[in-house]
Amino acid sequence: MKHNIHHLKVTLGRLDQRHVRLGLAVLSLVLFVLGAGAPGSGGGPS
Amino acid sequence: MCWELARPEAVAAPVKSMILLTAVVLGLLAGIIRARVGGRRLAPPELSLTWLALVAFIPQFLAFYLPATQELADDYLVAVGLVGSQVGLLVFAWFNRRQAGVWLLGLGLVLNLLVITFNGGLMPISPEMVEKLNPNYELFVSWGVGDRVGATKNIMLPPAETRLAFLSDRFFLPLPKWWMFHPVAYSLGDVFIAVGAFWLLWAMGGAKPQTSPSSRSSQLLKQC
Repeated sequence: MKHNIHHLKVTLGRLDQRHVRLGLAVLSLVLFVLGAGAPGSGGGPS
Repeated sequence: MCWELARPEAVAAPVKSMILLTAVVLGLLAGIIRARVGGRRLAPPELSLTWLALVAFIPQFLAFYLPATQELADDYLVAVGLVGSQVGLLVFAWFNRRQAGVWLLGLGLVLNLLVITFNGGLMPISPEMVEKLNPNYELFVSWGVGDRVGATKNIMLPPAETRLAFLSDRFFLPLPKWWMFHPVAYSLGDVFIAVGAFWLLWAMGGAKPQTSPSSRSSQLLKQC
C-alpha cells in the first residue's frame, strides 16, 4: 500500500504542462468527435 | 411504407460512436509511436477555447448519452439542441483552424451540420439502412417517415425525401457485434472527422524540438 502511494506520488510529480495540455487536447477532441459525428446504429439493442 | 422496430431500446451512445473514437485512439497511438521512432517529445496541440468543446457537448450529452434525460426531451428539443451544439463546436473548430487536421474536422462538421439542418435537425437515414443495421428485428407498420430512430441523432427518411442525401448516413460498415463494436452507418462528414482527428494526433509526434530561450541566448553569446 505504501509502495503504491509512493509510486503514485512519483508519477503525479512527473506530470507537467505538456501532459496537462495533452489531456485537455484529447478530451476536447473526444467531445468534438462525439458531438460533430453522427453515425447511425439503427437505434435498437445490440 | 411505415416501419417500426420492436421496442427499440437505446444503444449506449458511445457504442454508436466507437468508429470515431477508434480514429482518436489510433491517432494517439500513431502520434506516440511517431515521436518515439523519431526521437522527439510529444508536442500536444495548443487548443484554444477548450471549455467551449465541453459546453457545446452538454446538450448532446443530455439528449443522447444520459438515460435519465434521453426520454424527457421531445424530438424538436433534441433537434434544436443538436444543431446548437454543433454550431458551438464549429466555433471551437474555427478558433483552432490553424492546428493540423482541425480544418478537416471542421469540414466534416460543416457537412454533417448542413444535412442535419436541411432535414429537420437530425441526421437522415434510410429505412433500408435501418433494416440493414437491425436485421433480426421484426418490422411492423407503425413508424412513419420522418420519425426519429430510437434515441439516436437519426431521422428515418427515404432518399427521395432527403435533402442533400449524399451527405447523409448512407455508407454501411458491417462491423461485428463484439465488445463495444456494432454495425454502423456513417456519412461523408464522419469520414472527414475521423481523418481530421487522426491527423491532429499524428501531428503531435512530428513537431520539431523547440530550443528554450536560455539555450538560444547561450548560443548567441558563443557566436560573439
